[in-house]
Amino acid sequence: MEDNLFEIAERTADKLGVGYFEIRISKAKTTSVLIQNDQLDELSNNVEMGIGVRAFKKGWGFSSANDLSKAEEVIKTAMKMAGLSRGPEKIYLGDPVRDSVSILGEKRLDDVDISEKLEVTGKAAELLRGENVKNRIASYGESIIETLYLNSLGSEIRTVTSRVRLRIASTAFEGGKTGEYWKSFGGTGGWELIERIELERWADFVSRKARELLRAKAPPSGKFEVIMDPELTGVFIHEAVGHAAEADAVKNGESIFAGRLGEKIGAEELNVVDDPTLPGKFGSYAYDDEGLPGKRVEIIKNGVLNEYLNDRETSTLLNLIPNGHGRAQSYAHQPLVRMSNTFVEAGTWEPEEIFEEVKYGLYMIGDKGGEVDVATGTFTFGAKEGYIVENGELKVHLRDVSLSGNLVEVLRSIKAIGRDVKIHFPGYCGKGQWVPVDDGGPHVLTEALVGGR
Amino acid sequence: MIRMEAVERLAGILDKRNVEWEIYWEEGKSASFRIERERIERAQWKFYSGMGLRVGLNGRVGFSYVTGLDHDEKSLFELVKRAEKLARIGSRPFRGFPTREKFPRVRGLYDKSIDDLDFDEAHSLAGEFVERMREMKGERGEYTLAGAMSFGTVRAGIVNSNGIEGEEPRTGLAIWAYAVKKNGRSGSGYASQSYTTLEGVHEGEELIRRAMNEADSSQRAEKIEGFSGEVLLEPQVVEALVYLFLENLYGDSVYYSRSRFSVGDLGKSVLSENVSIIDDPTLGFSPGSYSFDGEGVPGRRKVLISRGELRSFLLDHTYGKLLGLDSTGNALRDFRSIPRIGTGNVLVGRGSENLGEWSGVVVSKVFGEHTANPVTGDFSLTVELGYVVENGEVTPFSGNMVSGNVFEALGSVSRVGKELERRGSFYSPRIVTEVRLV
Repeated sequence: MEDNLFEIAERTADKLGVGYFEIRISKAKTTSVLIQNDQLDELSNNVEMGIGVRAFKKGWGFSSANDLSKAEEVIKTAMKMAGLSRGPEKIYLGDPVRDSVSILGEKRLDDVDISEKLEVTGKAAELLRGENVKNRIASYGESIIETLYLNSLGSEIRTVTSRVRLRIASTAFEGGKTGEYWKSFGGTGGWELIERIELERWADFVSRKARELLRAKAPPSGKFEVIMDPELTGVFIHEAVGHAAEADAVKNGESIFAGRLGEKIGAEELNVVDDPTLPGKFGSYAYDDEGLPGKRVEIIKNGVLNEYLNDRETSTLLNLIPNGHGRAQSYAHQPLVRMSNTFVEAGTWEPEEIFEEVKYGLYMIGDKGGEVDVATGTFTFGAKEGYIVENGELKVHLRDVSLSGNLVEVLRSIKAIGRDVKIHFPGYCGKGQWVPVDDGGPHVLTEALVGGR
Repeated sequence: MIRMEAVERLAGILDKRNVEWEIYWEEGKSASFRIERERIERAQWKFYSGMGLRVGLNGRVGFSYVTGLDHDEKSLFELVKRAEKLARIGSRPFRGFPTREKFPRVRGLYDKSIDDLDFDEAHSLAGEFVERMREMKGERGEYTLAGAMSFGTVRAGIVNSNGIEGEEPRTGLAIWAYAVKKNGRSGSGYASQSYTTLEGVHEGEELIRRAMNEADSSQRAEKIEGFSGEVLLEPQVVEALVYLFLENLYGDSVYYSRSRFSVGDLGKSVLSENVSIIDDPTLGFSPGSYSFDGEGVPGRRKVLISRGELRSFLLDHTYGKLLGLDSTGNALRDFRSIPRIGTGNVLVGRGSENLGEWSGVVVSKVFGEHTANPVTGDFSLTVELGYVVENGEVTPFSGNMVSGNVFEALGSVSRVGKELERRGSFYSPRIVTEVRLV
């Protein structure tokens, strides 16, 4: 079927004067389990196939269908639409790639029966039980995606990638107060990623934290010295630096990083990297959805803005070396410039030394979601919990803490970067489409506005 | 029709098995045009279809779906087996499927002129929108404009073993405009709207104007001194707070104690008597409307909060039954998913005040609502744009955080404007309440 479709595509491209096209045909097998308290809230096991075709003439045309009998119509529609768009004049083409990559881990997910997945998820929910814990959630999700990527240059890339994630969450209630805590595990690979989780330990940790938050206090507000833990460092760097470094935002003049390559934007010690080649991480991949190999990108090097994340279109437009960051949620989505695994590299400080540096400030822990306006650099993030730090010691436990400020000011205010890098916070990044990512870093000391009530 | 053939064939297989069943199917298409720097850079046209099957077996339920509507007996049989297996090993709460009731007639769900658009026509409408952008930008190079226009049609249908049968076409049009202004400092502005008919294309110009005006204000906006007290909240901010509050009314949250409320709280006063909130999927020509929900229960108007009093939760069939109540027709879904509780059109009741003369702080736009905690109600949102109005003089501000507690903020609403603004499927007046600005 593929050969036939490729021929149809070539003929149509000739007829309509389309210079470049790519076809993605994929088959996704997904399983998910969601257990809430002892109740199974979701259990699904599905197979989905579809085709997405993107064509370039003087702009992009894209069409997709989840019904392969519409494949021919999709090819023609995408190419016709490309003729109607007016975008960039040129895109990066490069050499054809023929490759086959399989990332399935040690123990294939589809060799494990769904009843076992249900059992592990159920056990996780059970282990979360504890005093005052009124709501327990364990959710398991896996995907095995086989994709055939073809383009008009002659590329033919077959990939099979499996990803898995387990999330546990507890909510404690007492006297009208609530405390919530959660943790996610997972990556690119097989069932071994689940087997390696120390479930007892983490379930106990999560429920204990939820309980402790019942007694936690509201944070003070104002500008403070803030120590971010590896998880919060990760979300901060993802939201504030990563999104602003996406070359589509740069191209559109929407990013505060536009036109600032080579400029010093942060502390000397600051190095920020996005690396899809890290083995086993949730955001890892061999090829992006434009058929380009994913490359490690040093976004900020020694405090200087060094490189943007780019794709076929933006690399040409901004005259950059292509680094393979064009990712799509599925065959039914057009690739956009996206992150993979984004993190702050290790600095020279021992975490204890960082704490000793703080006379009065806040220690903020964990990621509770955030947002950033890449045009102005204004951001806001929630942390799962916090502590007041006095003379290097943790004092009052805090809840509902959020952090805001201006990206550039906060980067410049970085005073210390720890040695203790952790990158194991698998999640999904939304930009009109969802893609799996990971992020992290070490403990980082900076200054920011803390909000609370 | 292939569609009905597949659904009927699947129903035929299911009828021979001793199970309760429900088939939810969709067939749709969507076209969208993405504009960057006043040019259409990306155009796309997508086709999708599929069937979602729920099977009830010995008091349990399993769900699975297939994409496409053109399937042979074997592939349909595999779908049934998958759903049955999940029903057997799982123990998802299940209280049967709903039974047949009459669907209301909802006006303006479908506009044939959207359905009939071919891509040349759709493209030319998007082209006119871009043309407006170019005209409005004119020689002012400090602005960069972006946006999108999308059109969609879907036919959704449901059949179950209790005799429910429904099918309806729905159309949609969505437009947004984004303006960045650079000239020294940078500012940005955004405006969007959605519609069910093609008439909406005439509002494109207004959205561009709003985005550009907001970019002007945002460029001049500075952070202001914090304070606690009364502020005027514009509909976007009210929307953020109301949806945060509504998470407490979702039947599953109530059932699993993730809500501040329980069934015993119905009839109690929980918000300011100046606040009324209604969910109404039967509004004509509104993007949140439907005549039947994802389980085939009729869409119906319900008062959630009446002058501060809790009157109803948002329920689907399952959680309605688990709480001893009836479904409110709020099961939302697509063929890939099981029904989930959601809202149709949410309306905040209008008041009688003319707030046009308001003097003081106005908060227009906030972000960061997903960092808030719906159960405790504590929120801390970043002000994207606000104004200080003093002696008729309007000064924009941004970058502050507005924090408070949603139950207190909606509990101390002192004044409510008389004009409703529509933001997609949310309708609200401006309101005055107490918060803290940091």
